Amino acid sequence: MANLETIVQEAAITGKEIVQAAAMLGAGIAMGFGAIGPGIGEGFAAGKACEGVSKRPEENGLITRTMLVGQAVSESTGIYSLVVALLLIFVVGK
Amino acid sequence: MHEVGVVQTASFDLGPLHIVFNPVTLIMTWIVIALILITFVWLSRKMRQVPGRRQAAVEMVMEMFDGLVKETIGKDSRRYLPLILTIFIFVLFSNWVGIVPFMQEPTKDLNTPLGLAVIVFFVTHFSGIKYNGLFRYIKSFFEPIPFLFPLNVVGEIGKFVSLFFRLFGNIFGGSVIIWVAYTMLMSSWWTSWILVVLGPFLAGFFGLFVGLIQAFVFMMLSMTYIAVAKNQ
Repeated sequence: MANLETIVQEAAITGKEIVQAAAMLGAGIAMGFGAIGPGIGEGFAAGKACEGVSKRPEENGLITRTMLVGQAVSESTGIYSLVVALLLIFVVGK
Repeated sequence: MHEVGVVQTASFDLGPLHIVFNPVTLIMTWIVIALILITFVWLSRKMRQVPGRRQAAVEMVMEMFDGLVKETIGKDSRRYLPLILTIFIFVLFSNWVGIVPFMQEPTKDLNTPLGLAVIVFFVTHFSGIKYNGLFRYIKSFFEPIPFLFPLNVVGEIGKFVSLFFRLFGNIFGGSVIIWVAYTMLMSSWWTSWILVVLGPFLAGFFGLFVGLIQAFVFMMLSMTYIAVAKNQ
């Protein structure tokens, strides 16, 4: 009987482990859902830039520059989710 | 897993102040500054009226940026050209120094992009006040209706928060991905040969390509913020 008790005590999940598991799960969810929006937005911007270049090839440089800046701005929500995921992994889940 | 998230810090007491700093970031920043100095002194040595090959390369970069800043900022663009070009070259070299083994990017630490963003923040608002007058510049925060003043202030701060988090997140995320690939593939001998192909690709993509794009984006956005505040 005492043997079974020690086994149960060793296998018991503490509160800290639950927090760690939740932090890892939260990091995965945050990154996965956070990547959807920037992915769609940046792809849309790149597609429109392709159309623009095919219409006016002489404005190549300006279109590429504007596309990069617009993509960087629309990327910022993805970067926020990346920062939140890294915080969850390295600060909360430690 | 834990050596990535750990930031090495050193601290000392200066009277009542307890000062904490990151020695790795500090040393790497000095190395980057030394690299920039050596490169550009070497490139612009023995300047002549008719440029040689090295001088022509630097002049080409200068002319390109002169045109870019003039296009974006407009009047008095030469006043902002040194700041913009310095930001670009510093961030570019900081991002690229990480591809050398045992070197860490200074931009991987949040404090370096934060410092650059604080500089851009003060330059933006100073030039906004200088070119529009204090009253007109403050009035622009109450612009559509006075009720929206808190929203405008939060938006103004959020611009700069996203500016430095973007640079930090891209560089740090890239280094975490490289670290994950290396530790996972090096754990057993029969997967480590993949690194021969994957290692240079990862370093080239996250170091050279993302570093160049992010340096350009940081420069371009800070220039746009300054231009928006200045030419209201």
